[in-house]
Amino acid sequence: MTTIAAITAVLSVGVLTYLSRAGLILFLAERPLPLQIQRALRYVGPAVLSALTVTLVAGSDGVSGVEFAEVTAIAAGGIVAALTRNLIASLVAGMAVLWLVLLST
Amino acid sequence: MPAIATNTAGEGERAGQPSVDGHLDRPTVTPMSLPRPDLSAVKDAIPLFIPAIPFGLVLGVAIIESAMPDGVGWSTNLFIFAGAAQLATVSLAATSTWVTLVLTAAVINLRHVMYSAALAPRFETQPRWFRWVGPYFLIDQLYVLASAATERDDDDWRRYYLSVGVSFFVCWMATVTLGLFVGSAIPEEWRLDVAPAVMFAGLVIIGITTRPAAVAALAAVVTTFIALDVPNNGGILIGAIVGVTAGYLAERAAERDGTSEEQAR
Repeated sequence: MTTIAAITAVLSVGVLTYLSRAGLILFLAERPLPLQIQRALRYVGPAVLSALTVTLVAGSDGVSGVEFAEVTAIAAGGIVAALTRNLIASLVAGMAVLWLVLLST
Repeated sequence: MPAIATNTAGEGERAGQPSVDGHLDRPTVTPMSLPRPDLSAVKDAIPLFIPAIPFGLVLGVAIIESAMPDGVGWSTNLFIFAGAAQLATVSLAATSTWVTLVLTAAVINLRHVMYSAALAPRFETQPRWFRWVGPYFLIDQLYVLASAATERDDDDWRRYYLSVGVSFFVCWMATVTLGLFVGSAIPEEWRLDVAPAVMFAGLVIIGITTRPAAVAALAAVVTTFIALDVPNNGGILIGAIVGVTAGYLAERAAERDGTSEEQAR
């Protein structure tokens, strides 16, 4: 990615982030969001972050870019997250398992 | 989160009697004097910031690893100021085109629309400058605190909101910057490039509190995996759309089951 492309991307994301936060406050203050949209928005977080995780694991090589060590790390982090509901514990567990797997293979 | 509940109770008491609390009197002679920080807001912000520290450090490391120049990656702190969107922006730079990257970050940010909608009534009576400046700081933690403090009067709420917002902003800058140094000091064999994926997976799982949310996440994972070979990481958006739809339908289905059970009784 060139520097210009990177700067453009960052600024575009910045403007969109601001609009998502300010839009309703600035322009639609008196109109509530339709219930159907509120409902759908609830699932944006889990859906897009899951999709992003899968994509990051694969990297630029598609399915062949999925590494065993990475998948184990995410599984371990995921289990700890489910059990403790603690992001720090989940991250530490995931990275620890990653290092163990990398050392033993 | 018990800490928030306790704080809210305290705020309620104080907001009700601002004049009794002498040092809280707002300046009546010079209304345009520099705003003083609300120390109770700073105190409320700290416990919520602690879980964001590893996130900030991971982001700092990701900026080092990113295909973007470090300075541009760091500038996301100023221009975006939203952890998940920042992390997506810097870590997708290597493998995605501009369009996928921007769309993905925009979709991640859609949850802010919910916050914006929920707080909009509280902003209606605020001065114009604050309606423009306030939303810039509207991160998840600020939403949690500000929406729990809505019984404060206008001026008091604004001061509380800005104090929390600026506190988070300063702490976030410091943490991400520290992460940049950590990232450049740790050798590549440690594979810190994996940390963002572990982080997002943890965020998803901690965020899943209902069955439809689990359905949304699972549908998104499966779809994205199938769509991995779609060019330019287009699979993220396909996965996100399928996930949101699946979650929405699962909620509708659960609701129908619920009402039919009630009718059966």
